[in-house]
Amino acid sequence: MISCRNLTRRFGEFTAVSGLDLEVSTGAICAFLGPNGAGKSTTVKMMTGLLSPTSGEVTVCGLNAAANPLELKRRIGVLPEDLGLFDDLTVEEHLLLTGDIYGVPRHETRARTAQLLHALSLEHGRRTFAAACSHGMRKKTAFAMALLPNPQVLFLDEPFEAIDPVTAKIMRDLLQSVARHGVTVFLTSHILSMVERIAHQIVMIRQGVKVWDSAAGDLPQSLEDHYFDLVETPVVEELEWLGPSRS
Amino acid sequence: MARSFAILRALALAYRRDWTAFQSLAGNNFFLLTAFLLRQAGTFVYLIMGLVVLFPLSTDPLRKIPPSRLALWPLGRRERWILRLASPWINPLTWGLAALAMWGAGRIVTVGMWAAIAGLFAAAFLVSALPLPGGAGMWRRVPHFPGPLNQLVRKNLREILTTLDFYCALILSGAVLACRVFGPALPPEALMAMTVLVVAAMSSYAQCLFGLDGEGGLSRYRLLPVRGWRLLLAKDAAFLAVAIPLTLPLAVLPGIGAALVTLAIGHAPAAEHPRPQTRWRFSTGGGLGNGAIQLLALAMTAFAIFSTSTWFLAPALAAWALSLGWFGRKAERVLG
Repeated sequence: MISCRNLTRRFGEFTAVSGLDLEVSTGAICAFLGPNGAGKSTTVKMMTGLLSPTSGEVTVCGLNAAANPLELKRRIGVLPEDLGLFDDLTVEEHLLLTGDIYGVPRHETRARTAQLLHALSLEHGRRTFAAACSHGMRKKTAFAMALLPNPQVLFLDEPFEAIDPVTAKIMRDLLQSVARHGVTVFLTSHILSMVERIAHQIVMIRQGVKVWDSAAGDLPQSLEDHYFDLVETPVVEELEWLGPSRS
Repeated sequence: MARSFAILRALALAYRRDWTAFQSLAGNNFFLLTAFLLRQAGTFVYLIMGLVVLFPLSTDPLRKIPPSRLALWPLGRRERWILRLASPWINPLTWGLAALAMWGAGRIVTVGMWAAIAGLFAAAFLVSALPLPGGAGMWRRVPHFPGPLNQLVRKNLREILTTLDFYCALILSGAVLACRVFGPALPPEALMAMTVLVVAAMSSYAQCLFGLDGEGGLSRYRLLPVRGWRLLLAKDAAFLAVAIPLTLPLAVLPGIGAALVTLAIGHAPAAEHPRPQTRWRFSTGGGLGNGAIQLLALAMTAFAIFSTSTWFLAPALAAWALSLGWFGRKAERVLG
């Protein structure tokens, strides 16, 4: 469903993504992991047709992402890094807009909107303007927008960050459910415990280069330990000035 | 005391930055038109602009601190009182009013005029300091539009309602309407001239149609499977939904023609160089050249429709449609 061949993106002298090869099959949940600045968002942008690769090729739903961006956008749902919400629309209006734009019949849009608002506990804030929403509400709204048109592939950039535990569980269950129905999910996240629970495939990237790609069950150790070994080792620094006995 | 002064210093810095946003006026068509063409005759227009600007200038400076942050800071009762009493003096308008009261009332302006300005200032200050419960979003209720772009048009309409350009045009149009209802009959030429002024007041916004969408909005446009011309169409529909009703009490057909031409020319800077705009300020256009061409074209179109034939609406419509298609493609490239 998603296929990358020698995918490379350079910004001047800086190489954000270098020679990435990747295959994600239909109905799989693929977690794309790496530290900030590793090239995750750049890869997602190339996969969603928002950024052209410097070299290489991305195919999503059988479409070349760079050559058919409009057709691709009709088939995918995206939760972007910056959420992509309009300050002057309410939570509910964002969902109605999505239905209208993706050609979902009006009655179906209303039904799906009601279901999504209920499932994501957004009913009480349905008439709140995005500018006045909490970050969690904004994220849930953008997530609901990605789901509403019933896409073939979901691209989710850090979906679990800044979300309360109950909503995170609901989102996790929803993602597992859509994957069972054949929707492919490609997500980036820093919450490894959540990734460990839902991902079928784990891909790790460091400084634009893929350092791991396997089925989730093939990891040689816990995801966290493997991540620290391959991607980034945490360095803990003592802050001597912290504590009641110090000035 | 030290804590209060630290907060006041930060507040003054934030306020000074906020005031620089009023420099947007220098790139506004309506301001330029008044400054260069109307000169002395433009006093009435300057008064309207002053009145419109007075409201955002009069807001409570303490609003710049999020209430949750203010509540968290370890400030005593006395320090909070100092903040409350000293913060209005961060606003230069407070000093201006005080100076006018001491030295100018009765000389530069009449006492009644001073009282009117001070009253408006106080009203805007109080409204911003004491937000009305549940009523703050009332003005955001906008009608629905037919078609799949409905929510985009509504959003764009709400954006227009947060620009001072609209309120300037509204006051001009309202003044003429009041004159027509309660005053002597106005000559058709005067109505035509006022139509040009009303559309000119909104013309700078047509040059920065994507200016209030923010990064999040632009990012969403990139994700939507919508052609660029349809995004522009949603912007134009909102603009016309405001401009046409405002010209209804004036000369409506020249107004429609002028609005279409305004959009046709405004598409170029709007699509090619989306300039971020600030809410509750005047819109800043894409440059003096663009503004001059836009003003000239809208005035000529309105005049042609008014003095010769309604058929001049047809070329205006054609120019708008061509511009929509052409710059729609450009917008797609720039946004995408």
